Amino acid sequence: MTETEAPKIEEKSTIAKLPILAALVALAGIADAIFLTVHHYNAEPVPCGGPFDCEMVLSSPYSTLSGFVGNVPVIGDMPLSIFGAVAYFIAFCFAILAAFGDRRTWPLFGVQSTLMATFACYLFYLQSVVIRAYCQWCLISAGISAALFIIFIISIFVKRRTA
Amino acid sequence: MKNTPQTKSNAPMLIIGAVLVIALLGGWYLISSSKPGTNSNIAKANNGNSASTPKQPTVPANAPQGATPPNQTGSATALVTIEEFADFQCPQCAATHPIMNEIKSTYGSRIRFIYRNYPLDIPAHDKSYDASVAAEAAGMQNKFWDMQNMLFSNQKAWTADPNFKQIWKDYAQKIGLDVPKWENDMAGIAARARVDEDKKRAKGLNVSSTPTVFINNVEIPFAQVNVAGLKQIIDAELQKAAPQGQQPAPAAPANAVK
Repeated sequence: MTETEAPKIEEKSTIAKLPILAALVALAGIADAIFLTVHHYNAEPVPCGGPFDCEMVLSSPYSTLSGFVGNVPVIGDMPLSIFGAVAYFIAFCFAILAAFGDRRTWPLFGVQSTLMATFACYLFYLQSVVIRAYCQWCLISAGISAALFIIFIISIFVKRRTA
Repeated sequence: MKNTPQTKSNAPMLIIGAVLVIALLGGWYLISSSKPGTNSNIAKANNGNSASTPKQPTVPANAPQGATPPNQTGSATALVTIEEFADFQCPQCAATHPIMNEIKSTYGSRIRFIYRNYPLDIPAHDKSYDASVAAEAAGMQNKFWDMQNMLFSNQKAWTADPNFKQIWKDYAQKIGLDVPKWENDMAGIAARARVDEDKKRAKGLNVSSTPTVFINNVEIPFAQVNVAGLKQIIDAELQKAAPQGQQPAPAAPANAVK
């Protein structure tokens, strides 16, 4: 092994670890989304304190999706967190498949994490500008989406250095 | 990952499957453990031992009274009082509106139904306060319920329309209001004062979301705000309040609390 080969092997090992890290982070996202969903359906307030006003955010019209045909609600009151849980689960699947060597799924993870981070930015905008209140559990979710996106970006840079 | 060999192992699928099963079962268990008929009925709340329904405060006697007289239907001397706090721009409140109508028509004078205005102070509900004032102004011509019905039934139509006040005016004409008087009342202090009184009561009761429903002064979890859930609670309350040896006919025998 030459002196220049050693750091390259180290970087390749880092690349292999990133999908595992992404999968673990996505699991945290699934847990956060399920937590919010359960509290929604049980109509229980989430633990909230300090500068946060979770009820204001979680009872706002942006916290649920309702499908209407005319004026009749046909979906009615589907919490956004359900869609969040599905999105995190998809990210988790891509990450775990990549961790086990499926090369095709890491770019898909990249697309998924980019979409999620973009949507997290939109939700952060709603909290800060439109609702003017923050929910810590929503901010945690936004942080997790951002972390997944950052992990993907790091993987690109590390890959370029190894190439 | 370029040099990582493609795996033929079933391990990733097993992990994905395990996570999916745990997530679905865990979520289902946590939600179902708080459904009506399991552990969150009103009797438990009254006994003060409802472990899974922490947010069921009894209304304190010194709570603000709200607008007096309230907007109410049914009988003022009924054994069961349902008090709903709602916001005209909240989609869940519009979805709850037909549920409450069914409850009112099922129980008639056996219940007292009170509607309280709680327009949320959030920019997304920018028309909500005015909508409450519009309904209260209609109430000054004894047409509160007609206007309330129009506002909830057509929520989507006026919420999205910048010309919403003209739409309300059309509703006012449709339900037979004296429109100039209604407009005058909307601009006056009395209708606003009633909305403000209701808001004070909502805040005094720590109502933090809409719709929030109280039955005999006990807050009902939102998961139970459906026809079956409400009937179950109302039947139990009627049964509890009935004199010994006299059992009121339940509206929904299948859902009655045993």
